[in-house]
Amino acid sequence: MSILNTSNLTKQYGHEANMVKALDNVNISIEEGEFVAIIGTSGSGKSTLLNMLGGLDRPTSGTVRVDKFELGKLKDEDLTVFRRQRIGFIFQNYNLVPILNVYENIVMPIQLDGKTPDELFIQEVVSLLGLQKKLYSMPNTLSGGQQQRAAIARALASKPAIILADEPTGNLDTKTSNEVIKLLKVTSRQFKQTIVMITHNPEIAAQADRIIHIEDGRVQEAVTA
Amino acid sequence: MKKKKTIISTLTRRSFRQNKGRNLVAAAAIILTAMMFTTLLTLTQSQAQNMTEMSLRQSGTKSHASTKQISENQIEKIASHPDIVSHGESLVAGLAENEGLAGRQVEIRYATPQYAKDAFAYPTTGAMPANADEIALDTITLQRLGIPAELGQKVSLKWVSESPNVSESSDGSESSEVPVSTNASEAPELITSEFTLCGWWEGNLSSYASMAWVSEDFAREAFGNPSESVQEKDADIWMMAVNFSDTKHIDEKIGTILSDTGLTDLEFNANLAYTQEMQSMIFSENLPVYGGMLLVFLAGYLIIFNVFQISIASDIQFYGKLKTLGMTAKQLRKIIRGHANLLSLISIPAGLILGYILGILLVPALLYNVGAKPQASADPLIFIGSAVFAYITVMISCLLPARAAAKVSPMEALRYTDAEPGMKRKTKKSKNGASVSKMAWANLWRNKKRTILVLCSLTLGLVLMSFFYAKNTSFDVEKYLMDLTIADYQIDDATNSLPSGYDQESSTISEELQNDILALKNVEETARLYSHQIDYSFSSTTCENMVSYYTEDRLEEFASYDPTFPLWKEIFDSATAGNPVPITVYGADSLLVKAAASSSYLLNGTFDEEKFSTGDYAIAIGPTVEPGQDLPVYSVGETVSVEGREFTVMAVVSPLMPITSGFGPVFDIPLIIPADTFLSLWPDSNVRKFYLNVGDDTMEEAATLLEDYKNTSAPDMNITSRKTMVEQYEAQTRAASVMGYAISLIIALVGVINFVNSMVTAIISRKREFAMIQSIGMTKRQLRQMLTFEGLYYAGGSLAVSYLLSAFTVGVVVRAIASDGFSTFHFTLLPLMVCTPVLLIFAVVIPYLCFKNLEKQSIVERLRAID
Repeated sequence: MSILNTSNLTKQYGHEANMVKALDNVNISIEEGEFVAIIGTSGSGKSTLLNMLGGLDRPTSGTVRVDKFELGKLKDEDLTVFRRQRIGFIFQNYNLVPILNVYENIVMPIQLDGKTPDELFIQEVVSLLGLQKKLYSMPNTLSGGQQQRAAIARALASKPAIILADEPTGNLDTKTSNEVIKLLKVTSRQFKQTIVMITHNPEIAAQADRIIHIEDGRVQEAVTA
Repeated sequence: MKKKKTIISTLTRRSFRQNKGRNLVAAAAIILTAMMFTTLLTLTQSQAQNMTEMSLRQSGTKSHASTKQISENQIEKIASHPDIVSHGESLVAGLAENEGLAGRQVEIRYATPQYAKDAFAYPTTGAMPANADEIALDTITLQRLGIPAELGQKVSLKWVSESPNVSESSDGSESSEVPVSTNASEAPELITSEFTLCGWWEGNLSSYASMAWVSEDFAREAFGNPSESVQEKDADIWMMAVNFSDTKHIDEKIGTILSDTGLTDLEFNANLAYTQEMQSMIFSENLPVYGGMLLVFLAGYLIIFNVFQISIASDIQFYGKLKTLGMTAKQLRKIIRGHANLLSLISIPAGLILGYILGILLVPALLYNVGAKPQASADPLIFIGSAVFAYITVMISCLLPARAAAKVSPMEALRYTDAEPGMKRKTKKSKNGASVSKMAWANLWRNKKRTILVLCSLTLGLVLMSFFYAKNTSFDVEKYLMDLTIADYQIDDATNSLPSGYDQESSTISEELQNDILALKNVEETARLYSHQIDYSFSSTTCENMVSYYTEDRLEEFASYDPTFPLWKEIFDSATAGNPVPITVYGADSLLVKAAASSSYLLNGTFDEEKFSTGDYAIAIGPTVEPGQDLPVYSVGETVSVEGREFTVMAVVSPLMPITSGFGPVFDIPLIIPADTFLSLWPDSNVRKFYLNVGDDTMEEAATLLEDYKNTSAPDMNITSRKTMVEQYEAQTRAASVMGYAISLIIALVGVINFVNSMVTAIISRKREFAMIQSIGMTKRQLRQMLTFEGLYYAGGSLAVSYLLSAFTVGVVVRAIASDGFSTFHFTLLPLMVCTPVLLIFAVVIPYLCFKNLEKQSIVERLRAID
């Protein structure tokens, strides 16, 4: 059974004359434990798709289903709760909270959920990502790679079933990019997570189990790696 | 649960610390708000406290209810009732009649300590009298008797017994140990008693009488029956004052007690100071202050709201990020409320302290009080109330901004610009191109709500300021004084203000005093006022005038407000029936006559000074009415006969306070004749009032002369000086005017802070946009011009609206207010004119400073900046 699937997912921006179809009848299905890369040119609609999958944005029509939940049917407040429990986000610009240190950033979604972080698990993630020495540093003292690793740690900390990554390596140099992707693959395997990652870098995409190509809001073809 | 609290509060605290500058503005706004609330509440509470205190002092006791006729047996019964918390007893022996005490009622009484305490008359030095030859007095009485306030001083009182069986008592007193000697010549008998001062306290002039406490023995003695016989215990010669647990429903409590004890015949009176009427009087007295609080709330809201709105707008991306990472709207609102709480926690106590300090400083200056010095109330209600009001203001102010922040969708937050969402306008038909001034104008309206908010808060302050200023300046001191005094100094005979009326025999204003006054260096003018009561039968014309003036309606209206109406009506009926009734004839010198017959007082006829001075003419004093109607007095041209001398009535005037003030007969149609003519009719007359105008250099000398005379020879002589009148007026009105100015100034200040804050954030939040337009070719000069234009539009807009509204407020509202009373309306917008350059300077300087700050970063840096 697929953990993530969309049916006739459509998203339009604007009205009438200057209407833009960011997504046009997208039907995709992603299996549990899969590592999927979404590629496409700038403005192709790949970020919109990712946001839809994560419940950050609402579709114009069509549905997004995560596990048994149809995201469109959840209320805003419930959607937020669902997101922080089931989905880990990794952004191109890291989105670390500048006023919290690395550890606090990592555990923030868990604490927002009113839960106590699983310290052992977090230790494991932190050491896997090599962040032990930077736990109490503030984000602005970290390098780009370190910041992204902190963001990955945060995405993993709540043990989400799905990790959505929007150009996680977009701001990183090649060497660091490769490291980050390697880490992502390792952790997802270790924690049995599904990864959906946006990238426009073919080399990075090539490391995924499957590549979904989007252009003008439509899925072009499914390439199995 | 605990952890969750931690992360939210960590985020709250740390994000709070991020924005020191912004918090400073918010804190300043909250401090100002809390401060104003506290000051205003301190004033209202102090006002209420002082008014209650004053009315308690006037009523002479703070006991809740009292009776003036009760027997000892009845006292016992009532005192044992469970509802009575405490009670006091008193027995009046008599009234002191020493010469020095003329004009002041001094009651010789026995009282229990509780009674004395309730009557504000418990000795602060020494003790209540225990022995028959001891007495406790207040400082007023001591001063009048010329006795220093030292224990052990001998006090000699001449007094009249209140006892109904005084004649019997005087026989018995001879043998008693109290040294009492009777003056048996005529009734009422004047008794002289010698005492030793055993205690004293500070007297209060606003209370109706001074107490002279004597021992129970002495008071009983005065009633001629020192024994506590059963029969005596039933005599209802005692007074009793009772206190309940609280001051609510006093009348009902009295009813319960009387019916419980079966003493329904007794008449207990609730203390007027505790009645509902008194409370509502206090409330209405405080109404303007409550209005002020509403304005403070409004001003506080305008600025705190704006500060929050701005801070949320600039933090929206941060909030969006938090939302993306799983923060719910509720948690987000909690963070913003947390900021508001943190700000309140710091600012409200500071505001309370500052406000209370200001209150303490303002109370003595602002609250006008007769007698006792006004005290700043320390009622905890002030602090609780102000804190609550200020906190509510803060919470309401952050309500909408918090909701806006919580509502924003995470995706939108990342794109958010500080402009209203959903711009209605899709096209703009214009080919004029982008001139700097037009861009500035367009920028101004990017956030309509905020622009209007800033305009409103600036305008509110400016208009209020114009209003208070115009209202205060419209007051005409000359008009006000005219009614109260017509000379630099006026002195009144001691008996002039006695309820029993002026005594023609009293000679407070002696020949010597008049000679001393005339011997002063630079006396410009003096005037004497004499008065004499004669019995007079009105002519048929006069009677007709009276009957036709007092229509049914007028009589009914008169009866409705004047308690003396029945007596008045009796004399009126007698007079119109042709019987002689007493009237007052004044003899006045020309200074007075000219003032009394001046155009604003002249009701009928004409005043010719030359003719009047011949002594063949008289002026009649009519009622206080508008001229041009029939008057219930002598007709002009009518001949009146006084002591056999004929006078022709040349004019009717409305009463002039400086002449007519003092207790007069209930029914009176007075006449004024020249002073010299008056003296030829009654050569032995005493001067009733004396007026003098002196040169500026002699003012002090004259004041000293009068004061000395008053202190040494005539403690009851009343001195009215024009200067003190002006000062008194200023003291009375200072409260209102200072408060008005303070409130409008603070609101204007709030407006300016709002304006500055908006300008600064508008510029900072558009950092990138400016970099962008600079990168496509706008020069620094042009950019600065654009910002200056924006500032000028803001200031200009506020000023334009303020001028318009102020002109309306001053021209219509103030003109209407100023049309009556002692005001002369002047159209003025002075405060606005003073503020105009200030605002314009701000409008130019702020963008300039902000821009200087921006320039520190290069265009590329600013373009790249993601915050």
